[in-house]
Amino acid sequence: MSLPDTAAGRPLYGQFPTALRFSVREQSRNRLAALLLGLFVPAWYLLMTSIAGDKGLDFKLYATGETLRVDGRHVTLITAGMNSLTMISGFVVFDAVRKALNFDRRLAFAGFRETTLIGAKLLAITIVTTSIALYTALALLIYWRPGFTGWGTVLLGFMAMTLTYGALGLLLGVLVKNDLEGFFLIIMGGLTDTFLQNPLGNPAANKPALQYFPSFGPMQFSVGGSLADTVMWRYLGIGCAWAAGFALVGLVVFHFRTRSRRPTR
Amino acid sequence: MTPRPQPALSARDIHKAFGRHRVLRGADLTVEPGQLVAVVGENGSGKSTLLKAIAGTLPVDRGEVALGGELGYCPQDPVLNSNLTVDQHLQYFAAAHRLSDLKRADELVDLLGFDKYRSTAAGDLSGGTRQKLNLTLALLHDPDVLLLDEPYQGFDWETYLRFWTLVEDLHRRDKAIVVITHLVFEQERFDLLADLVDGRLTPRSSQEKEVSHVPA
Repeated sequence: MSLPDTAAGRPLYGQFPTALRFSVREQSRNRLAALLLGLFVPAWYLLMTSIAGDKGLDFKLYATGETLRVDGRHVTLITAGMNSLTMISGFVVFDAVRKALNFDRRLAFAGFRETTLIGAKLLAITIVTTSIALYTALALLIYWRPGFTGWGTVLLGFMAMTLTYGALGLLLGVLVKNDLEGFFLIIMGGLTDTFLQNPLGNPAANKPALQYFPSFGPMQFSVGGSLADTVMWRYLGIGCAWAAGFALVGLVVFHFRTRSRRPTR
Repeated sequence: MTPRPQPALSARDIHKAFGRHRVLRGADLTVEPGQLVAVVGENGSGKSTLLKAIAGTLPVDRGEVALGGELGYCPQDPVLNSNLTVDQHLQYFAAAHRLSDLKRADELVDLLGFDKYRSTAAGDLSGGTRQKLNLTLALLHDPDVLLLDEPYQGFDWETYLRFWTLVEDLHRRDKAIVVITHLVFEQERFDLLADLVDGRLTPRSSQEKEVSHVPA
């Protein structure tokens, strides 16, 4: 009977590429999320623009202090896109992380470096969620052509948003005890967050309190770039900071959930 | 006088409670290299809790565990990823153990008879085949110490016999093996049987010479 050679020879599979390949695979195999992405996003855009109509809205840009008079449909399309992203990205990552948690723990116990596993998981989340953001931004073009710079800022805002909710999905995936809690928090959190930023649905949308919500930075960045020709990188940074914060807390919890508890001398 | 060799596994004074329910109350287990030990006990007596504590997947309230080599742990409920195929599981764990080839994995898959499912996702496997994969992942790196929690659940008779052929080979090669079992007719296979009663292990040796391996 042949025995495995662990001491000599090059490992057959590198830990990082293996973990990345399989992490992307497990996060992209969610059929319900794919269906939501393919059908729900365009349908949601259509529904929200028909509700918004041609009404003009006031939208406050915090970077310049000015209040813009904008087409309500355009702001609504941005919030509708962000709203779709929060649910789909959060759901995809939460579902994959939660289902794989015990398996990841077994891998860590078997000798997989935790930092490698975490790094691969983060990169996989980035790849999957930014793909979702790209699709959502492309679907937006069916209803509105904001110009290249405008569309670019919407895309980047969507990316910051999708990373934020992907990271929230990671955090909830390692934290909550059952699926329902996680889905509820993602759906309610995403709906509340994005709905409040839109002056069409929320007359208090320009109040300073909304600065403390995750979608504030990406919304300011996307609206500034697409409706006021002002690219406000700091606000994109705020969105990325939310993503980094959720990811950091999620990874700390992941570390504690996958570490060995063996009582040694 | 030659020094006594280090045990492959030494667990001392393991305590674990779930709320007010004290499951383990000072369990001790010492296993020498080449020793095959059965842990037996009623349902809910704490057998799986003991193995989880030794494996490090469950924090204990008190106690110490020392291992004399690499550990392989086969949990009672298969811990697999439903989205990944059998082959992908093998590749993932080969990367975890930094193996330079998959020869041992190929042998185990062949011996346990699930070669034809290598491209099947774990979520689509039957319970018995999931258990075969669960066991294969525990043995992939040829560990020195093996903790097997009811490892043949769902096996058909032929696979069950193959499992024992595998264990006999490991036994011959001086591996320390702890098996949780319910099956009374297996007793003669073990060097030592240890009853888990009231949170402590008590030896019930089938060969009197082995009694000293498990301090009461």
